[in-house]
Amino acid sequence: MAKNLSGDLSVASANRLVDGVVVFLDDAGQWTTRFELAAVARDKRAGEILLERARAEAFDVIDPFLVAVIEDDDGRFEPISLREKIRVSGLTFDAIAADAVRYA
Amino acid sequence: MPLFSETGSTTILEPLPFADWQQRPAWPAVSLANTDPVEDLAPHVGRLRLIVLSFPKFSDGRAYSQARLLRGRLGYTGELRATGGVLQDQLPFMLRCGFDSFESDQKGFGEALAKTRTLFSVVYQPAEDDRATASLLRLSRRNVHPAV
Amino acid sequence: MPDTHFYQPKHFYQYDDYDRALVGERVEQFRDQVRRRIAGELTEEQFKPLRLTNGLYLQLHAYMLRIAIPYGTLSSRQLRKLADISRKYDRGYGHFTTRQNLQLNWIKLQDAPDALAALADVDMHAIQTSGNCIRNVTADHYAGAAVDEIEDPRIWCEIVRQWSTLHPEFSFLPRKFKIAITGSPNDRAAVRVHDIGLRLWANEAGEVGFEVIVGGGLGRTPMIGKTLREFLPRDELLAYLEATLRVYNRYGRRDNLYKARIKILVHEIGAEKMREEVEAEYAAIKDGALKLPAETIEAIARQFAPPPLPHRPAVVAEVEGLKLEDRDFALWLKSNVAPHRMAGYRIVTASLKPAGAPPGDASAVQMEGVADIADAYSQGEIRVSHEQNLVLPHVAVEDLPAVWRALGRLGFAEANVGKITDIIACPGLDYCALANARSIPVAQRISNHFAELARQHDIGDLKIKISGCINACGHHHVGHIGILGVDKNGVELYQLSLGGDVDFGKTAIGAILGPAVTADKVVEAVDALVHTYLDARSDGERFVDTYRRIGAQPFKERVYAAV
Repeated sequence: MAKNLSGDLSVASANRLVDGVVVFLDDAGQWTTRFELAAVARDKRAGEILLERARAEAFDVIDPFLVAVIEDDDGRFEPISLREKIRVSGLTFDAIAADAVRYA
Repeated sequence: MPLFSETGSTTILEPLPFADWQQRPAWPAVSLANTDPVEDLAPHVGRLRLIVLSFPKFSDGRAYSQARLLRGRLGYTGELRATGGVLQDQLPFMLRCGFDSFESDQKGFGEALAKTRTLFSVVYQPAEDDRATASLLRLSRRNVHPAV
Repeated sequence: MPDTHFYQPKHFYQYDDYDRALVGERVEQFRDQVRRRIAGELTEEQFKPLRLTNGLYLQLHAYMLRIAIPYGTLSSRQLRKLADISRKYDRGYGHFTTRQNLQLNWIKLQDAPDALAALADVDMHAIQTSGNCIRNVTADHYAGAAVDEIEDPRIWCEIVRQWSTLHPEFSFLPRKFKIAITGSPNDRAAVRVHDIGLRLWANEAGEVGFEVIVGGGLGRTPMIGKTLREFLPRDELLAYLEATLRVYNRYGRRDNLYKARIKILVHEIGAEKMREEVEAEYAAIKDGALKLPAETIEAIARQFAPPPLPHRPAVVAEVEGLKLEDRDFALWLKSNVAPHRMAGYRIVTASLKPAGAPPGDASAVQMEGVADIADAYSQGEIRVSHEQNLVLPHVAVEDLPAVWRALGRLGFAEANVGKITDIIACPGLDYCALANARSIPVAQRISNHFAELARQHDIGDLKIKISGCINACGHHHVGHIGILGVDKNGVELYQLSLGGDVDFGKTAIGAILGPAVTADKVVEAVDALVHTYLDARSDGERFVDTYRRIGAQPFKERVYAAV
């Protein structure tokens, strides 16, 4: 069961300028590709502050924004929307491999 | 806002907004909005020395058509100034449409203007800069060296 | 000194030093723009239109590079180079789109100039494949080989490509602008659903000219284009296009992104007023510098002269024999092989829709495989169709068994062209920053469900088209069955529509069937639609014909009872 469904938990995300890779702002104000290291804002006000920090650190990333997340019983976070889940975990099907002659 | 031109010469005339200018059509400088009808300037182009066209945003391209009509259709030969959202990366298009002065606060704009004509050695379509298109050059080349 | 230039085979448009210089200079201009962006001299807002007009999008996980394949024509060397680029700068696969482009999904901004330089090595580019400008001009994928062709539309596509490339006046239009050209009465280029559609036809005097259709399009507000000109002399094409674009650039709406396409302008002022405006502008410029000299047209036309095809037998015993022996081959001949204007030849479609695969995707190895087959059996020539398949335009009847086997080894010999699993699908929410719902997994489930070929052939011609959002890259409006993914409070739902069509003279926008269904019910819903058709069809009727005859109600009842 999710502990917090209020929709107020959030992390800051963006795409990295040089390669477009999905990144998250960590507690130290650095951009990381690892979602589990993302700084979590626990309420609306904290979210606004997080977003401000993200925008202040936006030189190497494009258009930071807040991603609503939920927390499970083990303290793990997950984005709420499918779009953001896909940004975290990648394609929901197997892309064909470069050396594949058939899709399987 | 800093003003640039390739030759370095620009007029210091103060342009009147189109509506005001219509009250004083003898004044040689006018500023047009994108919705003002350039065709109405036809009887006056010989006497005008400055026409300012506006780019409300750099992504709003209506003034390119206005510029071409003024140069190509109405035969305007005075200064044609771009103002508003004017960035160095639009310069190749603006020069081809007949603009010859530019108001821009972008850093490095003057240096970029000086280099713009070196960016593309080929053009594909006729415009207001009288450059020979690739298609014309091919024709004259074929006439010199008939098709093998 | 060895000549290091890239040369196309003889029957392809060959870049000369002007074309090459322009494309090369464009790459260097973009290299400098990328440098300035990374150095912080350009903001994202300023940079975005610059990268878009060089084909570079920012998607969910990476940048995407959309490469133009002008008029869908590729030489084998070009296709090999695309494979090479996909390996070197991406993940070794690409997605062929409905607009005869190839999209690479995992490009890095810092690599993009090098990828574009590599493309320029084989006379290709990504210029104006996005942004509010005139996009890659598309054509009938059977051009130059079709039996019903009046004139090769690619001649005119190339003329329009040159005129529209870096057009100084039309690079900041209100919105994107798509042009398609067909040279056949059987329209395979969907000319009625483009911003401008051009159809070559011969009048009673035997003169060939263009019907000019303006203001069609799909997207948020689907519309069928209106004919502005019944017959336009060919040498006045560019003047007429310039006049139309000028009217659009000056008067098209810029206050609302969703109302900025030319179709809205045509709709709001009416076709009659639009015609007056365009004709007035055209009258002012038609005898000017845009008038095409006969010599220019001929010089380009010569480059599209049909390849010299040696005489090959029209009836081949081996082919007839294999047809009787092998059911799959017989089905493949029926669905994937079309008549060619030369006796002894056929046009073969390589289906990029094997059961369960993402529609339109090909690996680097598959691209190279198709290039090899084209070299051996199709004059080194490949086409990209707007149905997201590859086409081998000049295959001898004698070679059909060998081509079938070779394509089979690549997984591209599925006998499903035009059938229910020949699905058009956009990349959807798995890749796309604009999407609301996934497209590819839905296509995969439908494809797996209907994989049995004999059943597909029994169901007959049925076009399913899937878009992951209202922008309609999957052309759902013109699918016999259209599927549109929507997001409702974070849940993916799929809206079904029936009766869309792109065939010329029958072009129609599908009608929404009823409430959207959940993702796990899409297959059941499509299955119910198919069963309704199978029960109700009379002899020779396709799905869409039955729908037109009996209407939506029987389909509706069965679908909503099933889901």
